[in-house]
Amino acid sequence: MSDWVIAMMLGASIFLGAVALVAFLWAIKNGQFDDEEKFLNGAKFDNEDDLNDAVNLERKKEELKKNYRPE
Amino acid sequence: MNLSKKVACNHCHLEFDNDMMIKEGDLRFCCNGCQGVYHLLSEEGLDSFYDKAGSTKLAPPMHQLDDSSNFDSPSFYEQYVKKDPDGFSKVSLVIEGIHCSACVWLNEKALHKMDGVIEANINFTNNKATIVWADNVVKLSQIIDVIRSIGYNAFAYDSASGETYANKERKSYYLKMSVAIFASMNIMWIAVAQYAGYFTGITQEVKTILNVAEWVLATPVLFYSGWVFFRGAYYGVKTKVVNMDLLVATGALLTYIYSIYITLMEDGEAYFDSVSMIITFVLIGKFLEVLSKKNAADTLDIIGKDIPNEVKVFKDNSIVLSKLDDVNVGDIIVVGSGERVLFDGEIVKGDGNFDESSLTGESEPIYKIKGDSVVSGTTSIDADVYFRTTKDFEHSTLSNLVTLLESAINKKPKIQQMANKLSEYFSSVILALAFITFLVWWLWPHSFETSFMIGISVIVIACPCALALATPVATLVGLSLGTKKGILFKEAAQLETMAKVDTLVLDKTGTLTVGKPEVLKEHIYEEFDRSILFSFVKNSNHPISKGIMQYLDSDKEVVFDEYSQVSGQGIVAQYNGKTILGGNKKLLEKNNIDIDFRSDNSIFYFVIDSKVVAIYELKDKVKKDAKNLVKQLSKKGVACIMLTGDNGKIAKSVADEVGLKEYYYSQTPEDKSEFIAKLKKDGKTIVMVGDGVNDVLALANADISIVMGSGSDIAVDISDVVLLNDSLKSLSDAFKISSTTFGLIKQNLAISLVYNAITIPLAMAGYVIPLVAAISMSVSSLLVVGNSMRIRYKWNRN
Repeated sequence: MSDWVIAMMLGASIFLGAVALVAFLWAIKNGQFDDEEKFLNGAKFDNEDDLNDAVNLERKKEELKKNYRPE
Repeated sequence: MNLSKKVACNHCHLEFDNDMMIKEGDLRFCCNGCQGVYHLLSEEGLDSFYDKAGSTKLAPPMHQLDDSSNFDSPSFYEQYVKKDPDGFSKVSLVIEGIHCSACVWLNEKALHKMDGVIEANINFTNNKATIVWADNVVKLSQIIDVIRSIGYNAFAYDSASGETYANKERKSYYLKMSVAIFASMNIMWIAVAQYAGYFTGITQEVKTILNVAEWVLATPVLFYSGWVFFRGAYYGVKTKVVNMDLLVATGALLTYIYSIYITLMEDGEAYFDSVSMIITFVLIGKFLEVLSKKNAADTLDIIGKDIPNEVKVFKDNSIVLSKLDDVNVGDIIVVGSGERVLFDGEIVKGDGNFDESSLTGESEPIYKIKGDSVVSGTTSIDADVYFRTTKDFEHSTLSNLVTLLESAINKKPKIQQMANKLSEYFSSVILALAFITFLVWWLWPHSFETSFMIGISVIVIACPCALALATPVATLVGLSLGTKKGILFKEAAQLETMAKVDTLVLDKTGTLTVGKPEVLKEHIYEEFDRSILFSFVKNSNHPISKGIMQYLDSDKEVVFDEYSQVSGQGIVAQYNGKTILGGNKKLLEKNNIDIDFRSDNSIFYFVIDSKVVAIYELKDKVKKDAKNLVKQLSKKGVACIMLTGDNGKIAKSVADEVGLKEYYYSQTPEDKSEFIAKLKKDGKTIVMVGDGVNDVLALANADISIVMGSGSDIAVDISDVVLLNDSLKSLSDAFKISSTTFGLIKQNLAISLVYNAITIPLAMAGYVIPLVAAISMSVSSLLVVGNSMRIRYKWNRN
């Protein structure tokens, strides 16, 4: 029984850690840390507007993708 | 009461007199540009820009920039515009005029608002932007117009070169290290449980659970983070070189397989912690090396960046843009003031001054008229000329220069680092020893299992951590020390090369001397109006004129009826019906004026109506640490040589003052580079110190090139070391730092070798238990790191 508890705790904690790691790797790949100044300023300036902007941009991209026919 | 009061412009925050500002209610603007941008921003709802910008001062927007339509030209598309995976167009731009993070925000916001723009990402640190847009909705020229309308400017650069590659490589190292460090840290706390169990007792079931957890964690470290080592080992084997990668890869892989075997058999000690530790440590060491490596491609980028891809060609009575390769010999090319000449040719229309300093080092502008030849690579200062090309672009002086530089940079000796050579032998010896140990134990009848484990323990204990960390840690400490002293080493390996240098070649002007001649003596033969002479020299850019101007420092000025500069001789002017001459002896001879005057210094004759009225003796001051430097280096056995384009007399006086025995004068840029090449052939390791464009070729040829921070841009770009404060003191500091660092590297290597010499026999005898292996591994690494930190202490004591 105690062996089972140890295994479960180990598994759960490593899994949780791995989730954080994957998020971190995704952020690196996405270029979020490429520009340290900007990434630090983001903490100062980012607000609702910027979030809305980012979402709108995503939507715009999707829409353009649908209609886009490269020559 | 004085009404004029300084007021800040509401857009750019620069301060001007209240009277001069454009007033609009409470708002004040310094110019129409600022006013325009301010209203544009508030109309677009972007006025929160000003909250973000605070009181940062911006540059007022430029008035009229050239037409942006050339951004839509096919030749521009071909060179700069790429397709992203979704088929959208993508371009890399450098945005000019970015002062603060608010500027970045504004540009991004403005671009995001445009229809068809999918992504606009501006890097604050280097002002580079990536823009992705849909070509059928919006044109690039419209995007550029938006950037310009809010007061910034953009130009394209070619991102396909070394830079992207270097960034990609760095990013992949970040990813790999994150995984390795995450897994290693987790394995560490599991290992604590393992070791505690080793001493206090642990059931086999719990041990297996811990082993399996470590197994899960170690697998991505070995196969994802450690992939570089497998790849390196593979290429090593292919080229028949036993390298460090092979040792790391086999050691880690064998330990990994053995540990799996132990885990499945449920008997003995697994070594998953060693596997992940080795990979993590060596990966970090490797990353430090990658980080400090300068990309040769980067340098070439910078030389090529000023070369536009199109020129203005005059054809059928109109000016058209043509690609460089499409220009034929005999075409007429139009060059306006401030533009760069890209072709060699002969002027057919117009006249003006050209700056040829990039080719000759002569800082004086040269006046050219119809029939004179223009050389590519020079810049028009105020000339608007049409000229007929005599060579195509491929054979032009400019592209010859670029090719020469390219080959010189590529030919730079690839320094075989001592540690690499050592590790090659080391790796083969360890692998052989491990194999022999295994055989001996097995044949002296022991179980396969025991012999295999002892064989592996040899590889594990010879953990290359210490050896791999020996060089990067020491150089990193050396580099950071250099930066503190204003010495910028662009590549870590240069520390090692510089420590081995035996010849120092110095340029005179700007390196040994301050580069600004000062008036030593003034001989007046006849009274004259000083303000004439002051205005006379004020209009010239020559260092001698500047020296005299500083000496006179008058505030009255006169206007000449006629004024022209004669290259290499002086100035000729007309004032109130008098002919005024000023310059060197050659100018006097040409005008049949005879005077007997001797001096070792540079002389400036001032003549009014064929009568010498004054003579000025000028001298370039030697920098204050020059003598010390030469003395110090000569003591160390480094030969010091001076090269200069000046005449023998001046060269001798400087050389005597500094204490140099060997010097060469009247050297052209080509002479200088040939001189370096010759020394190199004789087997010398050369440091070249210079500052100007005329030293560039020689700099590129030297083993180590050092440039004064105030030197020309190209020289700074191709150099290996930059002295930010221009002082010769930091030059001798650079020598000191490199030799200290090199000594430290040797010590570090010695430490790790001694460590191995003690522990490997123990491992071969089968005395090494896992705990000992783990502890001694960390201790050896700590020793090396600790020893490297000593450099600061050592430096402070000196």
